Amino acid sequence: MEHRRRYIAGAGIAVLACLIGLTFFPVRETEFVLVTEFGRPVRTVTSAGLNAKWPYQSTLYFDRRLRVYNPRPSEFLTRDKKNVVIENYVVWKIANPDRFVQRVGDPTAAEMRLHDIIWSSLSAALGTHDLDSLVGTDAAKVETGGLLDQLTESTDRSAIEQYGIAVVDVRIKRLNLPEQNKQSVYARMRAERERIARQYRAEGEEQALSIRADADRQKEEILSAAYKEAETIKGRGDADSTRIYGQAYSKNPGFYKLLRTLESYKKILDDKTTAIINSDSELLKVLTRGEGAIK
Amino acid sequence: MSSTLPRLDTLRIIRKSEPSEPAMPADSRWNGRRRFALALALLWILSGVYIVLPDQQAVETIFGKVVAPRVLPGLHFALPWPIASVTRIKVRQMQRIVIGGSPADSITGRSQPLASQFLTGDQNLIHVRAVVQFSVSSPVDYLYRSQDPAQLVGAAVEAEITRRMAHRPVDAILTTEKTAIQNETLAAAQRTLDVYGAGIALSTVNLESIAAPAEAAEAFRDVASARADSARIANEAEGYANDLLPKARGQARQLLEEAAAYRETKTNEARGDAARFEQVAAEYARASQVTARRLYLETMEQVLPRIRKLIVDQNGNLDLTIIRKGDSTGLKPQ
Repeated sequence: MEHRRRYIAGAGIAVLACLIGLTFFPVRETEFVLVTEFGRPVRTVTSAGLNAKWPYQSTLYFDRRLRVYNPRPSEFLTRDKKNVVIENYVVWKIANPDRFVQRVGDPTAAEMRLHDIIWSSLSAALGTHDLDSLVGTDAAKVETGGLLDQLTESTDRSAIEQYGIAVVDVRIKRLNLPEQNKQSVYARMRAERERIARQYRAEGEEQALSIRADADRQKEEILSAAYKEAETIKGRGDADSTRIYGQAYSKNPGFYKLLRTLESYKKILDDKTTAIINSDSELLKVLTRGEGAIK
Repeated sequence: MSSTLPRLDTLRIIRKSEPSEPAMPADSRWNGRRRFALALALLWILSGVYIVLPDQQAVETIFGKVVAPRVLPGLHFALPWPIASVTRIKVRQMQRIVIGGSPADSITGRSQPLASQFLTGDQNLIHVRAVVQFSVSSPVDYLYRSQDPAQLVGAAVEAEITRRMAHRPVDAILTTEKTAIQNETLAAAQRTLDVYGAGIALSTVNLESIAAPAEAAEAFRDVASARADSARIANEAEGYANDLLPKARGQARQLLEEAAAYRETKTNEARGDAARFEQVAAEYARASQVTARRLYLETMEQVLPRIRKLIVDQNGNLDLTIIRKGDSTGLKPQ
């Protein structure tokens, strides 16, 4: 009797535990839970914590966290008919599990759908943009932000409607040029570098020449200024001496004349001179005519 | 075993025979089980005690719902399994990801041409390897917002680097703009991550290597050496100028000094001559006739000995050939 009671109690507890297990289910912050009734989705549980359902209902768990999808880099044609290879990344998450499970199924399939949507929107968008708006040295022109925001918005709209996917962000992760263009790009880069190198060298030469020329000019300036001043000083010396001589000699011009003339003789008459002297001259008069010749 | 069994038996016998404890076998067994259950329950509850280490923070959830988003280091209590669960993460620890290569590249010096290729504003291709360091700023967001936070960081930073590169010329990227790119990328990528709510704080974005592609590396190196050459040529010219000008200034100084000396000499000579003349003139004035004659004769004495002299009579003729002959033969200066 007592044994039977125990068995019943045990069975009751087991059934209760089963029921509790089937009724209550925890939902983590990272998940959505889709409650299904014999495979038919009834409702979506989005609030984390302990939730309840009817025991005959079952649950499907979906990761609601952000995912990053990196589509393969693909080549696009811009409005100005230039090829560019763009690698995107897409941040997306499951927003509507009901729709997601019905229309897509699993994340891999979702990424394929996203790839298609983004590829077509991006190629359409780039068809209205020049390459300058993606890459260019004119910073004001390069504006991919608007394009991408628009792209994100339109992708998000259609993805949520069709697949229950929220597209949080689409961005250009990498820009590149098609492989077949690269050799010519490298050639262009080399040519550019050579030009720049030549320019640098020429500029150095230019600078050097101007420095040298400037130095030479300064040298000339310094020397000529010094010459000017030196000559002025010398002139002053000459003037002073002339004045002094003048003042002194003009006191007795006759004597000066005599003295200077005699001085000149000493210089003029050197050993190459042959003087033909008249014996009647003042000097030799006495020699030829005797002492009486001098008065 | 066989030795312990009898002892147990005796113990039981002794207990049963003790008068203070009435024989209530069922009840005592029940008590023992209750105690055991109680101990188990206590243990179960105590299993909720947990420690958060100094470099960690924890998130506590009850049935998956976050109840404590940021549990700081220390001793804590949570409801035991399976009600609550605690996830600890190392928030202080810097995580490191490499863009444009693999983490080992910076050690081995290897580069991965395709993975690191970026397009610059002037449509040059360059290879960039960047290292990003980040830590967890919000444990809850870090744990529950994204499947792979590191991948999110990598993507956001890479997109920003691409964008910075896309409007700068290659020269600027290779020379002056590196820091600006790093700072802008850091700020912009942080904004993006905040929009995603990733719970991540970027700490540094470091452009570890920026290099020209191998196909054009030689030409890039030549530009660098051209720049050096240019500086060298200019320096040499500077050297020339630095040598030339002091010398010129010295020369100028020399000219001026010489001129000053000349002036001084000239004036002094003039003064001396004048003084001499004035003194002689004063004496001359006293006896001009005699003095004049004396001076004349003295001069003649000095002059005449060294010259050839031909004294002719007042009416005598002179054969000038003598002079020519004399010149050509022996009469040379002694």
